[in-house]
Amino acid sequence: MKILILEDDAALREHVTGLLAAAGHVVDGCASGPEAIFLATSNDYAVLILDRMVPDLDGLAVLKALRAAGVRTPALFLTAADSIRDRVEGLEAGADDYLVKPFAGSELLARVAALARRPPIESQVTVLRVGDLEIDLLKRTVTRGKERIDLQPQEYKLLEYLMRHRGEIVTRTMLLESIWSFHFDPGTNLIESHISRLRAKIDRGFDRELIQTVRGAGYRIVDND
Amino acid sequence: MTKWRASAAVRLAIGYSAALAIGMAALGAIVFLAMHVAFTRQLDATVADEVRTLATEFHSDGGGELSDAIAQRESSTSPARLLYAVFAPDGRRIHGTLQTVRPALGFHDIRFIDPREGPDSARGLAVDLSRNERLLVAADREWIERIDRTILTVFVAGFLVLCLLGFGGAILFGTYLRERLQSISNGAEAIIAGDIRGRMAVGPRGDEFDQLATTLNRMLERIERLLDNLRQVSTDVAHDLRTPLAALRNRLEQGALELHEKGAADRAIADAISRVDDVLALFSAILRIAEVESAHSRRFFEEVDISALALELAQGFEPAVRDRGREFLWSIEPSLRLNGDRELIAQAAANLIENAQRHTPEGTLIRLTLVAIGDGVCLQVIDNGPGVAKADRSRIVERFQRLDRSRNTPGHGLGLSLVDAVARIHGGSLTFKDNAPGLIAILRLPNHPPSS
Repeated sequence: MKILILEDDAALREHVTGLLAAAGHVVDGCASGPEAIFLATSNDYAVLILDRMVPDLDGLAVLKALRAAGVRTPALFLTAADSIRDRVEGLEAGADDYLVKPFAGSELLARVAALARRPPIESQVTVLRVGDLEIDLLKRTVTRGKERIDLQPQEYKLLEYLMRHRGEIVTRTMLLESIWSFHFDPGTNLIESHISRLRAKIDRGFDRELIQTVRGAGYRIVDND
Repeated sequence: MTKWRASAAVRLAIGYSAALAIGMAALGAIVFLAMHVAFTRQLDATVADEVRTLATEFHSDGGGELSDAIAQRESSTSPARLLYAVFAPDGRRIHGTLQTVRPALGFHDIRFIDPREGPDSARGLAVDLSRNERLLVAADREWIERIDRTILTVFVAGFLVLCLLGFGGAILFGTYLRERLQSISNGAEAIIAGDIRGRMAVGPRGDEFDQLATTLNRMLERIERLLDNLRQVSTDVAHDLRTPLAALRNRLEQGALELHEKGAADRAIADAISRVDDVLALFSAILRIAEVESAHSRRFFEEVDISALALELAQGFEPAVRDRGREFLWSIEPSLRLNGDRELIAQAAANLIENAQRHTPEGTLIRLTLVAIGDGVCLQVIDNGPGVAKADRSRIVERFQRLDRSRNTPGHGLGLSLVDAVARIHGGSLTFKDNAPGLIAILRLPNHPPSS
């Protein structure tokens, strides 16, 4: 994938570029707002990574300009502080996701991947399938093989999110944000306990484990066959 | 002198006594004029009476009797005696001893020659008794003038005394105020000079100055507490930062020594990252509290379905709490709504649950309750663990406060500070009660937070 990063801190830019390149992406880096606008309007990127705070024209202004120019490329904001104000402003300006500095490399990769592979509109989809596991989004029922599985509401939301991102790594914070709308670290590892309960229901007793733990990164639901 | 002009008290007192003095002067002038006019009228009446008597005598007894009557009257030694003269048409004085020129008819202020005192003024009435005789009866103004002088003297003396009292009073008043304020000012100067423990002197009278000094002292105590807190926080941040950084350093050093061992580098790096994450989490928590405490946080207030939020939290935490060996139950009143910041309320509640399970042994029952109270809601996290001593309960919300003095337990001691900050920006409160055994954390959130 081709990715643009706007970041004025050269060390951080190189770090992120290295991370993305190691994951097989092609990365263009730039340090100023006007440069970012030029590159983003003249190339076809899969994802834009914009630092919220760069001198002169900051990431917020760049994104507003790009959205006004009709560029719909998914954008991820990097913000310095975990400030609600920054987050809200970023999302209002048309950002699709945000990440607070300092961040783990795995978190950035997972979010970039999720943004790049974001399905156009999945509202038409009524059934999600991974292997023999199936969710009927209309009836809100879960079956594996022939067996009907009863899930608690939050377990259901968790499974639905994993299946909508099947094959991708989803991180703890992505799950906290999307299922509970928590943009903070609750201290206790809520996700781990929910995942283990979910596993107990959908994987225990079956030949293949669909939910995988990606060490140091997060979880992934995938049918390895 | 400039010093006195600069004194508000002196200016006030002088202004006030000047106003009084002007009032006194005006009153004096009015009294003086009124009495002067009244006495002049009385004089006129006396003169007119006498003229009438003499005219009557003249018309009944003839000119000869008039001369005798005048002579008899003039011989009187009464201090109120009148002056008489009868003039012929050519201006000659034909009776009486009043030395003046022939006047026109009617009332006049006349000048005459007093045989003892020389030229003098009098009030006279002239009437024609016959064609050839014009009678002038006059009264010496001397006693009116004497009364005028007395009145003037009294008022001028009063005016001077008043001015003197006013000015002296102003200086005394100014000096007094200055002294009282000086003692407060001295106290403040001492504090500016660095003695933050210094206090204003409070007098025994309990007057305005003493009240002011008491208020200032209360303010100083508050500032001193805040400064102490700040100092403590700075020390704690430094300490909390140094400990994990030192551990990180040791870990890296150890990792460098073990580099030849298989997998040691990976382990060292993973360890180092987790230690750095701890430090970063500490800073995030500090920044988070600062953000909550800053005013703009209220911008994100909206209607929050707090019952749904509490249920979500309870369901979200339940598996994790149970996995760590504690029981978790909840009782949530449905359909409670609140104007507030959803994210902050969620974090506050999460911190309370997290806190309850962190400081209790396995097997503890933790309960989350949400009920409507008065104008808002009350969220409680109740445990039956070891609890917190009464004396410590108010301290546990302080920043970096950990009852474990060695600071070796996990956590950075900021969780409850954040809950407290969240409560306060919602206009609510965080309090603790004894559950005998255990602790009840009570988070009250009013529905209509103050808009300030």
